[in-house]
Amino acid sequence: MTVKGANMGIGTEEETAFSFDGDWRELAPILFTNLMLSIVTLGFYRFWGIARERRYLWSKTRFIDDRLEWTGTGKELFLGFLLVIAILFVPLFLLQFVAQALILRGHAAFAGVLALSVYLVFFYVAGLAIFRGLRYRLSRTHWHGIRGGSDDPGFGYGWSYTWKTIVGSFALGLLIPWSMTSLWSERWNRMSFGPHNFESGPEWGGLMRRFLLCYLAPIVALIAGIAAAIAGAASGGSSGGIAGGAVAVVLVLGSLYIVLPLLALAYYAAFFREMIGTLSLSTLNFHFSARTKDWLLLMLGNIGLYVLVFALALIVASMLGIAVLPKDPQAMAHPPIATFAIIALIVAIPLGLVGGFVRYRNWHFFIRHLEAGGEIDLVTLTQSSTPEPRQGEGLLDALDMGGF
Amino acid sequence: MTDVSGLWHYDGKTAIRHKVDLRTEVDGFVLIGDGVDNGTYRWSDLVRRDDSPDGPVYGLKDRAGWRICFASGVPDAIRSQLPEPARYGRWVDRLGFWRASGVFLAVSALFAFAVFKAPDWLAPNIPFAWEKRMGDAMVGDFGGRFCNGPGGQAALDALVRKIDQGKPAVRVHVANIGMVNAVALPGGNIVLFRGLLQEAKSPDEIAGVLGHEIGHVRKRHVVQALMRQAGLSVLLGGFGGNGGGYLNAMLAASYSREAESAADDYAIQQLKLARISPDDTAAFFARMSAQEAKLGEAAAALGYVSSHPLSQSRERAFRQSRQAGTTYAPVIDADQWAALSDICHDDPKVPADDSLFF
Repeated sequence: MTVKGANMGIGTEEETAFSFDGDWRELAPILFTNLMLSIVTLGFYRFWGIARERRYLWSKTRFIDDRLEWTGTGKELFLGFLLVIAILFVPLFLLQFVAQALILRGHAAFAGVLALSVYLVFFYVAGLAIFRGLRYRLSRTHWHGIRGGSDDPGFGYGWSYTWKTIVGSFALGLLIPWSMTSLWSERWNRMSFGPHNFESGPEWGGLMRRFLLCYLAPIVALIAGIAAAIAGAASGGSSGGIAGGAVAVVLVLGSLYIVLPLLALAYYAAFFREMIGTLSLSTLNFHFSARTKDWLLLMLGNIGLYVLVFALALIVASMLGIAVLPKDPQAMAHPPIATFAIIALIVAIPLGLVGGFVRYRNWHFFIRHLEAGGEIDLVTLTQSSTPEPRQGEGLLDALDMGGF
Repeated sequence: MTDVSGLWHYDGKTAIRHKVDLRTEVDGFVLIGDGVDNGTYRWSDLVRRDDSPDGPVYGLKDRAGWRICFASGVPDAIRSQLPEPARYGRWVDRLGFWRASGVFLAVSALFAFAVFKAPDWLAPNIPFAWEKRMGDAMVGDFGGRFCNGPGGQAALDALVRKIDQGKPAVRVHVANIGMVNAVALPGGNIVLFRGLLQEAKSPDEIAGVLGHEIGHVRKRHVVQALMRQAGLSVLLGGFGGNGGGYLNAMLAASYSREAESAADDYAIQQLKLARISPDDTAAFFARMSAQEAKLGEAAAALGYVSSHPLSQSRERAFRQSRQAGTTYAPVIDADQWAALSDICHDDPKVPADDSLFF
């Protein structure tokens, strides 16, 4: 039996292999109850909350004729978190005392070496976290009862991540597109779904033009700014000089805060199109259609949500009168713990909610622009034999890193 | 023997979707369809999965990917055999949302109370010998930076004896570092920085500052802070990202301000016992306060986040502790003070502070 996937998705608007029919109004009750339970458990419900949120997002995602299913649990994510605390943060905590003792005893150089090696270990662990996070997510994603995964535990990838990231920053960072591309394909080439391996063969040369634009923009802006300042000064008098200076400041700041993020977005848009466009699974070829403009709208929407909620929180805080500092410094020297708690709640509640809606928007964006073409033979799509990790993406969570 | 028709089924081995019927047996059910593992399956092994748009879906314990979906609905006859959908997680589902919230809130409150209060009760009971061992391991000889100019250490020891009469010894040293500061380290080690001696106008000012650091040692603040820090990181560990870290820092600063006030109280009491004038220490804080005033409004806002109370309020506390009718004498004589002031200057062996890695 074969499900026809040919002509599905690529290049056509009316029919795509992937679709998402979630609704934020359905998600809202999930997010509100997650937040409530997270608060009364001092945040520890978070792991179960993430599992609920993902179950919803996956179940609203359709691939060809059936939806995806998330089978990961809060317990797995929590175990991953505990593991990270035990193997990473407890030793780091103790090492901090060793470093302090070394400094106090005058062995500053040793302390420096120690700090550097901790930094390298963090690099390695970050790479490991990215790999294992992806592996865990694939192993908990089911379609037609079949899941993905990887036989590789990712320890080798950790080393690749360390040296490729360091080499990537050589030559003034010009090799960054190479390191990002090569790490992406190294990661995906070790992932599988059912019996099939993912194949990834992206090129990094095509990304260089956009990367160089990012790279050169601040330099060009600086030169243009200096030129404007000189031209203004030359055109006559102090008013010309001031006008030239103002233009220079606008140019430099504008390029740093507006042009540079836009160019970075353009680079990421091209990066994702190249990475996903060269990804395949057996006879399926993937495609990602989001252009810079789409990414920009996504980002502006997400930022808008945060701004809106932050403004609301400020209004509530000032209505409760605690945003105003007391005049007497004596009273301020010992603000009651309750004040901290209220401030924390006023900020934490809205921000905790926004996070969930932003993840919803990101997932929707990702699925909306993801397409696939080819054919799937359901008979040969057999169950994955890769090991199922018992703990979730604790490292990724602890290091506050993204998924793909 | 009930028959249910129109189910779809994944066996978890291949991706093929089977059309099956279900027939109940005495101790479970079997599936009827081409090329499927008929069973028998036990009702109690079923796990409720997320609904499909077609209908409710069930999985099987320990059989990854095995699914049945009642695409034409669940007949009433077998409804009671099927497990309830999982929603929030096992404990919450069992207790109900509101009752579970109440229970969690009570447990969290108890736990938070313990984390905040336990260091106060436990720290004084930790054997000082343990703290001393840890302190020795950490501090050592401060990389050879302790100053030992002629007569300086003797003058310092005399000063310490005066303001801390009859108590077990603390070890006070002067380190050749330019900062205007003093620290209490684990194990009763107190280090004055050279900058403080240069800034001080009289030995009585040093007595006030030293009394403050000794207060930290006597009240076991270092151990307390370490315990509280460890407890807070567990307490706030559930919050991901930076939020927990900021909250942690704010709470820690708040507690450290409390400890600073307690140490000031100790210093004031010791100055009183030793008949040393608190005026000089107050004057010291007045000078520090003048420096803070240059920061203007920012200084007031800093009161919220800084680890120490504002110098202005500390100055007031020392000033108010002056007792009318008491005759005060300098804590050490002029010769001793001269030796102490020059303790680093007159010691060529001590390395300069710019080689320190702070």
